[in-house]
Amino acid sequence: MAYVATRGGERAIEQSERLFREEMGAFDQARVDEVKRSLPYLIDRVMGEASLYDEDLAALALAQTGGELYEAVLLLRAWRTTQPRLTVAAPVEQDGLFTHRRISAAFKDIPGGQVLGPTLDYAHRILATEVLEGGTYAPEPVEPAAHSAPAHQPAVSAWQAENDLIDLPEDDETKGNDIPDLTREPLLFPSKRAHTLQSLARAETGGVLALGYAAQRGYGQAHPTVNELRLAEAEIAVTHPDGRSFSAGRVKVSQAEVVDKKGDKLRLGYAATFGWNEVKCIAAATLDLNAPGAEKGSATEEEFFLYHTEGVESSGFCIHFKLPHYVTFQSSLDAMRDAKAKKAAKEPQMEPSSSEAVGHEKSEPAE
Amino acid sequence: MDETLSTLARADGARLKAFAETLIPALGDVEVVQSRSGLVMLPMRDTAQGVAFHLGEVLMSEAHIRRSDSQGYGMRRGHDLEASMAMALVDLAMAEGVEQAACEAFCAQEAQALADADTDVLRRVEATRVNMETF
Repeated sequence: MAYVATRGGERAIEQSERLFREEMGAFDQARVDEVKRSLPYLIDRVMGEASLYDEDLAALALAQTGGELYEAVLLLRAWRTTQPRLTVAAPVEQDGLFTHRRISAAFKDIPGGQVLGPTLDYAHRILATEVLEGGTYAPEPVEPAAHSAPAHQPAVSAWQAENDLIDLPEDDETKGNDIPDLTREPLLFPSKRAHTLQSLARAETGGVLALGYAAQRGYGQAHPTVNELRLAEAEIAVTHPDGRSFSAGRVKVSQAEVVDKKGDKLRLGYAATFGWNEVKCIAAATLDLNAPGAEKGSATEEEFFLYHTEGVESSGFCIHFKLPHYVTFQSSLDAMRDAKAKKAAKEPQMEPSSSEAVGHEKSEPAE
Repeated sequence: MDETLSTLARADGARLKAFAETLIPALGDVEVVQSRSGLVMLPMRDTAQGVAFHLGEVLMSEAHIRRSDSQGYGMRRGHDLEASMAMALVDLAMAEGVEQAACEAFCAQEAQALADADTDVLRRVEATRVNMETF
């Protein structure tokens, strides 16, 4: 199979792009601000998959692409390659997270308790159709508690390790630019754990969910239970030129630990991402839990799920099929005609109909 | 963590710029070493195996300035070079002892505003605490 460069169609190409953009119309800062204000969870999803945290840029990408998520993520991934890297922050530690939601399905009485935070898990799914009839959807305000929830909570896994329910290795002390980085190194297999988790953090939500769901339904070796799910804000800890460490701001993060019991200890799967996207984290942690010992080519094999959930590459590959493959099809047609001619030569009594002959002429693609 | 720098990095942008403006006459000439925006890589610790991995990059603004032997530094989220420069000016003023009392008062006021906002969030979070019973 081979590809050739083709010429022609410049005007049509230009007009097709114009048509796409014209249908969305002009937009300005007000549109970007409205997208940012009204679609925070979509912004989070785009920032996570783009691996770039900035709500303004994510809202701009969504406004510019009309919500075509793959294009929005691609725009942001492309933009980030044009920017200098200022520094590498200190690793975010679990007990330093400013926590908004922390639950465990595996253990009812986790130290620090369970706070549901913002969620629709227990809500009735009723469409607010009154809005389409001129009404306003005004949610009931929260009734704040008299005292504050603890800002910081330790990891559930740390408590389990203290109770000999789980074996946790010592923290890896790799820091700064020495942390393996997918944006500067290729993904090779067996994958470094830092690459695996970085790749899952950037993974396309739907793809991760599909493969994680397959594992959850029984196509993997381990059934997950949520050990800890957390939505939080993480500090960006950087260093002043005089050596003082400080937080340069916060970003929203989500993370999930899932657990499986094999033998006399618990075994963990883990995933985290920018923004609040717990479905992606649970599905990704399920894949991480199932990866050890997975059969080659199965949905839970690391190489399979890391390659196939890389949204920019997989959507780009899918989209490329729309681009012309004239030479490929020309050679295929030639082979088909040759085979047909040979068959006809062996069966001289079978005359092709006139309509078939016309069909051949019309189906031939242009080069 | 340095609380003053952490406060300035999250302080209200408009108030920070307005306050930093008042310091410029007293500071006089300063050397701008750096004023730019770019990306900061943010690693996170995996709680299952203890490995640090990159969550992704965050758009930040950075300013680095000098006056005599002192240096001022600002780094804040987002693309706002004026705000990061304002942070650096306050930091430099405090390093040089310029308008020290006003700087400390500004930082204290902003720290209180941030603490109040956090308390408000955490009281709302506490309202979602669930005490489960099994039966």
